[in-house]
Formats: sequence, C-alpha cells, structure tokens
Amino acid sequence: MATPAALPPLPFNPSRVRSYVLRLPLFTRLVLLAILVFWLLELQTVWSVVQWGSVIPEEINIGTMYRLNTYPFIHVGFFHAFLNLLALTPLLERFEAEHGTLTAVALFFGPLSTFPAGAYVLFEKFVLHRNTAVVGASVWVFLLLGSEAIRTFKSNPYFSLGPYKIPTWTSPLFACGLVSILVPNTSLLGHLCAIFVGYLFGLGFLKVFVPPEKVLRWIEGKLNLLGRLPHYVSVDQKTYGRYGVLPTTTAGGERATPMSYLGSSQRLAAIRNLRTNPHFLFVHLPRILSLVCIIAGVVWLLLLPLNDYSRQTYISENALLPGQVHAYFSGSEQHIFRGYKKELEAILEGQTPSGQESRNEEYTPAVSEKIQSVLRAAGLKVATQKYEYTSSGITHQGQNVYAIIQAPRGDATEAIVLVAAWKTVDDDLNLNGVSLALTLAGYFKRWSLWSKDIIFLFPPDSKTGTQAWIDAYHDMQPAFVQPLPLKSGALQGGLVIEYSFDHRFESLHILYDGVNGQLPNLDLFNTAVSIAGGQMGIGSNLQEMWDHNDSYEMRLQTIMRGMVKQGFGYATGPHSSFMPYHIDAITLQAKGDGWQDEMALGRTIEGLCRSLNNLLEHLHQSFFFYLLMQANRFVSIGTYLPSAMLIAGNFTIMAIALWLRTGYYTGSKQNPARPPANAEETSLRAAALTEKLDANTAQSAVTPDSNSVIERKLALPLTLVVGLHLLGLVPLYIFNNINHQYYSTATYASIGVNAILPIVLAASLTRGLTTPRDQPQLSLLIKSFSLLVLGLFLSTLATLNFSLSFMVGLLCTPLSFVNRIDPHTTSRPIRTVLSVLGLVFLNVLSPPVVLLVACSYFGTDVQTVLTQAAFGWDVWGMWTQVVVWCVWWPAWVTGCALLGFSLF
Amino acid sequence: MTVRSLFSLLFLAAFASFASATSDYHESLVLQPLPQSALLASFNFQSNDSQESFDERHFRYFPRALGQILRHANTKELHLRFTTGRWDAESWGPRPWNGTKEGGTGVELWAWIDAVDDEAAFAKWITLTQSLSGLFCASLNFIDSTRTTRPVASFEPAGTHAALDNLHLLHGTLPGEVVCTENLTPFLKLLPCKGKAGVASLLDGHKLFDASWQSMSVDVRPICTETSDCVVQIDQSVDIVLDIDRSKRPRDNPIPRPVPNEQLVCDTSKPYHSDDTCYPLESTSEKAWGLSEVFGRSISGSCPLTEGSADGAVCLRVPHEREVHASPGAVEARKADGYTRCFTLESSTPFDLMIPEQQATAQVPLDEPVLRAERTIVGHGQERGGMRIIFDNPSATNAVDFIYFETLPWFLRPYVHTLQATITGRDGLRRQVPASQFIKETFYRPAIDRERGTQLELALSVPAASTVTLTYDFEKAILRYTEYPPDANRGFNVAPAVIKVGGEHPIYLRTTSLLLPLPTPDFSMPYNVIILTSTVIALAFGSIFNLLVRRFVTAEEASAMRAQTLKSRLGGKIVALRDKIRGKSKTE
Repeated sequence: MATPAALPPLPFNPSRVRSYVLRLPLFTRLVLLAILVFWLLELQTVWSVVQWGSVIPEEINIGTMYRLNTYPFIHVGFFHAFLNLLALTPLLERFEAEHGTLTAVALFFGPLSTFPAGAYVLFEKFVLHRNTAVVGASVWVFLLLGSEAIRTFKSNPYFSLGPYKIPTWTSPLFACGLVSILVPNTSLLGHLCAIFVGYLFGLGFLKVFVPPEKVLRWIEGKLNLLGRLPHYVSVDQKTYGRYGVLPTTTAGGERATPMSYLGSSQRLAAIRNLRTNPHFLFVHLPRILSLVCIIAGVVWLLLLPLNDYSRQTYISENALLPGQVHAYFSGSEQHIFRGYKKELEAILEGQTPSGQESRNEEYTPAVSEKIQSVLRAAGLKVATQKYEYTSSGITHQGQNVYAIIQAPRGDATEAIVLVAAWKTVDDDLNLNGVSLALTLAGYFKRWSLWSKDIIFLFPPDSKTGTQAWIDAYHDMQPAFVQPLPLKSGALQGGLVIEYSFDHRFESLHILYDGVNGQLPNLDLFNTAVSIAGGQMGIGSNLQEMWDHNDSYEMRLQTIMRGMVKQGFGYATGPHSSFMPYHIDAITLQAKGDGWQDEMALGRTIEGLCRSLNNLLEHLHQSFFFYLLMQANRFVSIGTYLPSAMLIAGNFTIMAIALWLRTGYYTGSKQNPARPPANAEETSLRAAALTEKLDANTAQSAVTPDSNSVIERKLALPLTLVVGLHLLGLVPLYIFNNINHQYYSTATYASIGVNAILPIVLAASLTRGLTTPRDQPQLSLLIKSFSLLVLGLFLSTLATLNFSLSFMVGLLCTPLSFVNRIDPHTTSRPIRTVLSVLGLVFLNVLSPPVVLLVACSYFGTDVQTVLTQAAFGWDVWGMWTQVVVWCVWWPAWVTGCALLGFSLF
Repeated sequence: MTVRSLFSLLFLAAFASFASATSDYHESLVLQPLPQSALLASFNFQSNDSQESFDERHFRYFPRALGQILRHANTKELHLRFTTGRWDAESWGPRPWNGTKEGGTGVELWAWIDAVDDEAAFAKWITLTQSLSGLFCASLNFIDSTRTTRPVASFEPAGTHAALDNLHLLHGTLPGEVVCTENLTPFLKLLPCKGKAGVASLLDGHKLFDASWQSMSVDVRPICTETSDCVVQIDQSVDIVLDIDRSKRPRDNPIPRPVPNEQLVCDTSKPYHSDDTCYPLESTSEKAWGLSEVFGRSISGSCPLTEGSADGAVCLRVPHEREVHASPGAVEARKADGYTRCFTLESSTPFDLMIPEQQATAQVPLDEPVLRAERTIVGHGQERGGMRIIFDNPSATNAVDFIYFETLPWFLRPYVHTLQATITGRDGLRRQVPASQFIKETFYRPAIDRERGTQLELALSVPAASTVTLTYDFEKAILRYTEYPPDANRGFNVAPAVIKVGGEHPIYLRTTSLLLPLPTPDFSMPYNVIILTSTVIALAFGSIFNLLVRRFVTAEEASAMRAQTLKSRLGGKIVALRDKIRGKSKTE
C-alpha cells in the first residue's frame, strides 16, 4: 500500500466529498430524499404540490395544519431546491450527528417546523394583513444557523471590525439580509421567524420539546434501531459536533470518542484505495476529465441557439438613433440614377469589338474617367490611386477612384466611407451599386448637416482595391501601392453597397465578417437591420440563410456558417479590409426577387449615413465579439467562450497530468501488487521523501514504478517540440510563396511527407537517441509539452478568433488520447496493428487531408482555396495558415510520432 | 488685380485714414462669388481711439469692456480668432487678408503682454484668458499652461511698441472649441452700431454659421506715426464663404429635397434621355443671388458713426459686364481693375443687391496659393503613430521660405530624431533626403507631462515645383482616468499648425486640426469592479461565517460548556443588571 505522502497534493479532493456524501446520517438522507421527491412531484401539472403543501396564512385552519409540517420539503423550482439542499445538508448532518436521529426526527417534525411557520402566519396575517405563501427548506437553514450562531456567541462573543465589535449572534441576520437582497422572491419575514426560533433553540428555551433521553434509549433498545437502520445515529453516539471535538482527548466523561460511523468503515477503505491508486489518478482520471471537457465544450456550443443562452440584439450607442430621420432620397433622384446607369452601360456597350451582345464588364480607364467626371460635376474632390499586388505568381492590379464630400464647417477630423466596388464579392458586375453611389454622392453634397466627411470609394474589385486604399490611407501601404493624394480624418465607419442585377430585390444580405475573424461593432449591424427592417420594411439576411424560420436547426446552422467564415479568416467582402484598422464596416447586398427598388436601398444607405453622422464617439458601446444566429439574436463572448476554452483546456489538463505523472509514476497497470508495507515504514518513507524531493537521487529514476520522485530528462523532449514548431515555418513558407499551379502537387506531397515524417522521427528517437529505459518517460514528456503548447495557443486564440480555436481544437482532440502503447502490456503484433490503425486514423485528420476533404465537401478546388489563402496572407494579412502550420501541424506530428514509437 | 492685392489696398487705405483723424470708425464689406456657387463675404470694422484717451479710460469707438480688460491684463496687442471649417484653397484660391485675419479651427489667441518676467506675463495671460472667456462666451479659460506656447519666429507684433524688451508673446489654441452664435453676439456688441445699422446688420447667426467656412477676428494694436500721435486700433472682421444654393433656401424649408421632375436640368443630347431617365447637365450659367436672399435681410442703411459718409462701404467683385441691380439711392463706383465696383450707402435707407442669372463670361481670376500644406496622422494602433506633413510648392520658378509652427499636446510625444524628409518633383519620383536640407533652423521645446506641450518651430525652404513630405513618429501617452473627457472615445484634438510665409507682409496658412485617438480604458470597468467585489465579499462572508460557526474545543471544554446552561447565564445577567441599577441609583 502506497503512502499518501507519496502522492502529489491535490487541492480539491473528490474522494473526500464522496466519502462525506456516503456518510450522511439517516434523517438527513430522508429529508434530502423527501425534498427531491417533492420536487419531482411538482414537475407534473395535474396536482400542484406547492399549492397543497405551502404555508398560506389564509388557508391555515385545523384541517390544513399539515401545511405547517410539509412546507419545508416543498420547493418551487430546481434552483430553489438545489440551493436549499446545498445549504441544508451540512447543517442538518451536523445537527443529527450531535443530537441523534431520533431527536432530530422529533424536533424537525415538531417544533422546529411548526414554530417558525406559526410565528410567520401570526405576523403575516394579523400584523401585516397580507397573504404571502412560503415554502422551502430555507427555514431550517436559517433556524439552524440561528442556533449555531448562539453557540458561537457563547464561545466567541464578538468579532471586531476595526473599532466596532459586532456580536457574533447577528451573523444569521446578515446572511438573511444578504439573501433577501441577492435572491429575488425570498420571504424575509419567514427567514427572520426561522432565525428567531433558531435563537430560542440555541438559547435552550426549546429544550422542553426534546424527548427525554431515557425514553429515546428505551425506544432505541426495544426496536433495535441501531441494528436495523443503516446510517442511524444513536442516542449514545451523539457528539458535540464532529468538527470540534479533538479525538485524542478522551477525558470527556462516560462516552468514548465516536469517530467512526456505522457501516462506513468499508467504504472509507475503498476510498482510500482509490486515492492511493496512482494508476487511476494519473492515467484514467485525466482521460476522463479531458473527455468530459471535450463533450462539455461541444454540448455548450449546441446549447447556444436556445433562447436561454442567446439574447435579442439591441442598440447600445444612443447617438445612433437609427431610423429616427426621414429619408428624402426619392423622386427625381431616380431619374438621375437611371441616367448614370445608362451612361455606364453605354461605356460597356461601346467597348464591344463588333457590336455583339456580349458586354465588356471589365473596369476600364473609360469607366474610371466617367466615374471621376460624374463626381467632379457633383462638386466633390476626386482622386485616384493605382495599385498592384502579386501573390502566388498572379498579379492583381487596378485603380481606385475616390471622392470626398468635405463636411461644411467640418475640419477633416472624421469621415465615413461608402464603397461601391465595380465587381461584387461573387465577381458580378455591380452596375446598380455604382450608379446608386454616384447618385447618392450628388444628393449628399447638397445637405449641410454632415458633421463628418463622406468618402465615396470605387474600387475595381472586391478583393484588392479596398485593401490598397485603406492601407494607403493609414500610410501602411506596400511598395507597389500608390499613396493617397487626398485624405480626410479618422474613419468612423464603412458601408459597402452591392446591387448586381437589374430586377428589384427582396431583402438585404448583410456581410460582416472581417479578416482573421474580426467583427465590426454589433451596433453597426443592428443599425443596418433596424433601419432596413423598421423604417424601410426590407428584411435582413445573414450568412446566406435565405429562409430562416428561427428554429433551433436554422439558428445553429447560421452560427455554424458564421463560425466557418470566422475560422477560415478570409475577407468576405470589401468591408473586411477595414476591420484591422478598427474601422467598423459592413456590406449590404441586395438579394432575391421582390418589390424593393434601388431607391429603397438608397434610402437605407441614407439612413445609415445619418446614423453614423450622429456618432459623437467611435463605435465602442456594443459588442465586438459575438456570434449571430438571426438578424436579431446573438450570443456574446461571455456565453460562447467557455466552449472553446473547454476544448483548449482538455489539452492543458492532459499536459499537466502527464507532467505530474512523469515526476511520480511512469508505469502502467503492470506490477500493481507491491509488497504491503506496514504503517510505520510508510510514514517513515513519507517523511524521507519530502526531503528527497530536492535531492532527486539517481536511484529513484532507475526504478520507475516505485512511488519515488523521478528525475525528468527535459532536453530532448523540449528540443523536439520546439524544433517541430519551428519546422512548421517550412510548409508555411512553401504554401505561401510557390506559384499557384503547384498548389495541388504540394498538398499531395505534404500528405506523403506527413505519413513518413512521424515514423522517421519515432525510429530515430527509439533507435538512435535514447535508451529503452528512458522511453516511457520520454514519450510522456514529449506529449506533455506538445499538449501544453497546444492548449496554451488555443486558449489564447479562443479570445481572438473563437471559431478557429474551436475548429482546430476539435480536430486535435484525438491527440489527447493517443499514446505510446506500452510494450510490457501489449504483445508486439497487437501493438503493431493498433499503432498502424491509429496512424491511419490520425493521417485522416492531418491538416492537408482535412483541407482536401473540406474542399470536396464544399465543392471547390484545392488549388483555388490555397491560391486564395496565399492571397489572404500576402494582401489581407490573414494568419490562419500560421495557426495551421505552426500550432496544429506540430501537435499532430507529435501525436503521430508517439504512436510511431510503438512500432519499434 | 487679384483678391490679395485688393485686400492689401484696403489695408493701405486703412493705414492712410487713421493718420488724419485720431478717433474714427470705418466699416466695409467685400463680396466675391467663388467657383462652385460659393460666395465670399468679408466684413471689416475698424475703429481708432487716441492713446491718451485710451489711457484716461475715455472711450469713444473703442469698446469699453475690451479696453478695461486689456488695461487690466497689461496687454499691448491682442489677436483673437474664431474659426470654423476649412478654407478650400484648391477651389477658392488664396485666403482673404492673406490669412492674417484667420485662425485655426476653434479658437486661437495670441497677445503681447507687458510684464517684468515670464512668470508675471503668464499670470497676466491667465487674467486675460479668463476675462476674454467671459466676454466672448468661449472656453478661453481652458487655455492653461499645457496649451500656452511662446512662439519665437512665427508671429511679429503688428503695432508700434516703444520698448519690445518687456513684451512677452503668448499664444494659445483651443482646437475643439465650437464657434457659434453665442460668440457672435458679444462680437457684435463691440461694434459702435452693435449690428443694428451698417454692413453689420447683415450678420445673422443662422446664415453666418451655416457657412462652409467662417472666421471672426479681433485685433487690437497701438499705432504710432512719426508725428507722435498714437492711436489704439481695434480691427474686427468676419469672413464667411456661403454656399449660395444652400443660403437661398427659405428658412422654414431648409431641406434639400430632390427637385421636382420638371425642374431637372438634363442633358437632352443623350440617346437614352426620356421622361424618367436624366443625365444631369452641368450648369454653365452664373447663379442668381441677392443680398437679402443670401443673408436673409438687407443692409439697413449705413452706420451713422462712420466717418466720411461711408464711401464705398460695400464692394462687389464681379466682372464689370455682369449685370448688377442695386437699391435706388446707392452710388456705384467702378474701379479701374475691371472687376470691382463699390457702393456707397446712405444712412437709414435699406440697401440690397440683386444679381440675375447670366451666362458665365469672364471670371475674376484667382491667384495660385503660394504654398499648400496638409498635415495628417498616419499609422494605426493604440500605442504609436506618425505625423505626416506635406508641403507643396506650386510655383515653377521660386522656392518658398516659411516658418512652420506647431504645438502638440503633452500626451502626444514626438520623436524628433525620427524626423525624415522626402521630396517629390513634378516627375513623381520620391527621394529620401536628409531633413536638414530643407530645415534651416529649428526651435524645439519638449513637453513636460501635464505642464506644457511640445513646441516646434521650423524654418523651412521648399524648392520650386516640388513637394516635400516631413514625417516623424510619436508615442501616445496613457492618461489618468480623470483626465479623459466625457466623450473619451472620440479622440483628442491636436491644434492646427501655423505656417508663416514671407517676411515684411507675411502670408499665413493653417492646416486642419487633427483627431488623435488615445488608448481609452473601458469605462464600464467600475461596473465590473462592483461585480468582482461583490463576489469577493460573498466568498469572504462564506469563509468568515464558516469560521464563526466552527468551534475548536477540547472535550473537557465541551462538557464545561454544557454545564453553562441558560439558567446560570440568565442568573448572571440578572445579577449584573441588578448591580447596574443599584450602582446607578447610588450615584443619583
């Protein structure tokens, strides 16, 4: 039997709680059971238990006196019952242990429930003339607290707070006050009555109701209760509080120290066995905890769409006042809109080489010139910017046209941006959007109420143009992007207009995801939804959920789509480029076939600009971290974060457990029967061990299965883990810098390398670098470090990009459970089969394979995806790849290498 | 002839006039239509009082309220500016009065104060700002030591001062101050006719502050001639650029609704032109406007206090061939430059001008500005940023020399060693050059936290036909939480930079003010603190209660305690009570 001292100290001992629960005496158990039963009974709807059993002052008469006894068992809800149970158990257990089961029964079915209830009824009915029903075991809680407080007062009359001396008997009153403040719907009067009775009891006034000991003893003896009932506390066994009596001093009188309870000694031994079973503590328990964390994390996420865990959106920034102004954009402005549109169409048609029907929809210098001339005619300051980006061997170039309405009386300190890209996110021609922006420019110029400059930006596409412009606006542009000749003040918000078809539209699709999962302030999104829906009667969609019926499935699907976008971290529209500069922006896409025309979209934009114009401060009031599940429902970071944190925490738990295990216990189940040491020897060893902790003698390392402290050999595992993380830079470089046509080849090559690399690693480690004796510890340490780093990265990442952390965490979960298969317990063929199976499974979860599977699921091409990713890295500053190659991949390789150890 | 030369002419005329009379009052209004349907209106009011009468506190035209403040604060020369908006040099050409009667956005004040040393001067300066704050209903009292600088080369005294030794120049700005009607009313009160008669009767707060750009100035200076007569001159001016379209909208219906379909001016030559499709046509004709239309009222005759029967009080700068209808009775005098005509007002006869719509013929030529300057904050993030100042010299032949003066708040900490210059020629090539190539002289006074701001004055020279860009990095300080304004998330205003071009008759330029976002704490933190504290208290209460309820006794004590029944305790209490009562009765 191992000594407890050899075990690492656990701050919280679950077995102790278990033993406490197992030792609860009889009456306490019965009361708890009764409360539980009544709570369960209350769940049905036919017969109201509360109505039947609660103390209702008006209902009390001779026939309903039972209420004075039943009410403590009845509760109005789960939390009521649960909290009362928690509070009552220790107090009642103590009372029973002190006074014996029979006394407890007599008192609690008699005076201790009827007296407080009687006092309450008297007060409520005859003094206050009210009729509030009371129910619940809190009456006993406060009663017992009251009696305990009196006893405390006897031994320890005051506690001093500075110069004041507060009598200790007042503490239940404080508790009562606090409860009535913190918990709604509690009966202060009821609690006070209970405390009063408690005081009386504590002072001994109720001693007359205690049945005489002689009678009790007689009953006990006649019925042989002690033998028949389990957990029965005898009259003879009662103590003065188990906590207080020191067991060594037995000079108390006629009684021996009653430290053991009936029927508990066997269980205690079982618990002690459990505690001293290092295999369970170090091997099974962490696995169970990790698994629980993972399951809890996933279940947590699945709970989010429920009404209890999500919230209705609301406008937090009062200055926005969405929809409070009348939008005047209508009437003859529509004629001008058509004029601009025809003018732009004429340019497109004019470029057809031979009068064909096909139009040249490209953004040409002629288009740029036309846009500039229209803006100049409207009296705006116009400028252009050329840019060029090269990524994966593809060159993206273009020219931004932008114009500024300088706010009358403004001083160029703040600005709003309106973007109308020539090509939409889906690469459609955004003719209506551009024409609308041009019309709005002329219309806005006439207003004098702008407090901020309004910038109209016309990039040639939705991917590069805005990024080049916003980079140059902050003077952060790369070499091939021109600086801006014309500037305004700090940007306060951005709106992107997309209307890429000729018919009328039905609803607005709002895009809000930024690069790397950054999100705009929720207020901006809410304002758009509120103005479109409330003022214009245009519905809003998000995440391409066209027929959202607000069901659980639809909400979950919306969240999932949002998380996938957030996790991939790519720019979903021109608005995404604004987010890294802390500028809130959204894209409004006209979608569907309905009866809303471009003027309605224009009025929505006008309303949004007026709202943004109202802003006195940068948008900061509302949430920056949220998951949207419907245009008007969201979950905030406080609610959803635990989900990813639990997943990330599972790695940390495993890492810490492994670290402890490497220091104390590296063996597995084999050789469990150790020579039973007698108690004397054990205690001696325990004392010696504490001194040995520092010394760490070599001898203890030699015997890995002993309960001694083992020296950890850190150099190799540390080097390996750090080296693998640095090795991740190689694929990161390759996948961001080679020409786009080699991407599929590179993916397949990386799958091959992934299959071989861990085995090579395992072979070289087992064959070359280590001795067989070190291998168990080595594998545990490698796994510990690897998981520690993984847990650390993922929990940090969860606060920045929840979805990415969650997805990577979920894909990495098998790594918590793979291990080197112990050669001592498993024979070689089984080992080989198991590890090969494990390796195949892990290879399916390797980053490139997951990429391939995801691509085939979404029906896209690997090359396209990787080109896009490299583009994101080069242009948008996206760092999803860093997480994949420098966090996920090294952890994955380590996991495979651990399995690979078993092959050799 | 150009605007600038006209203003210098007026300036000289003003100079000439005070030589003859020691106590007089003049007022004038110059109207000039600018491109893009803008109209520049420059009001000028000038009055003199002799130095002797000023010293004897005998005021005739000089406002008494201001005179007393100046005497109390030992101020010899005062310049006060209220400005809103930005001058659009690209469209509107050079600034009125060469920028000498203009301030940066908000309020700007500088004065020469007679004092024995710096400390005394600063004390007088505080007196001056506090008093002016009350007089002009502006937050001038917020010009404290952090916002006060002592420029070295940027400002020269405009008046004649006997001894410059004891004069101290102090300069302060409030870039965030919003100028509005409450500043205009005291401004008009200083005029001899109080805005009731003369050109000042046009100054209506609604129209004035609806202008695209607007500047009010007050200049007080002593002027002495060789003939020994000294006068104290107060020169007040209001310059506004109105949007004619906007100003013509009636006050009860100021909303620029879309025009009715039939009033749309369309390009009918377009093939797609139809009833519901219209490509707007750029109007080539000059818009019609009138004084009463634009200002909402007409001039109610000349101010009777004006000396010399108000010759040419209202001048209009349009080509002579442009048709202008003036009210009957006004005498029109055309100047020889071909663009200026002035009208002489009659007292107590309302005066109005009407200019009908006419096809544009000739335009009054606008000068090219001597220098364009733009200052912006670059970079992003909460910790660092950069300042970028662009100087563009449009002249193809002449280099331009100027003094660049900027004051930075103390929480913006510039790194002057990072000062770098690039020059871009007309070929568009950027070259990095040492900043010393352009900077001839530097005066730098570093900031002291919470005491004074940074002061940077550079003597620069920009070569012909080139653009020089100066950049430097700065760090943002973290403020104490009480130092944040209520709207902390808006950012902090950085005062505009002042640029002085030339020596004898300098031209002043000012950049726009800047908004500096500082790291802002989450002010909902107190709420979080309350929650956290409540949790801690709840936990502490739990454990303290636990300790209170739990007893550590030996078994003997336990049995002893059992003996201490309520009966004996109660008996003890009663005895104690009895003793107390007895003791009490004994003392009685």
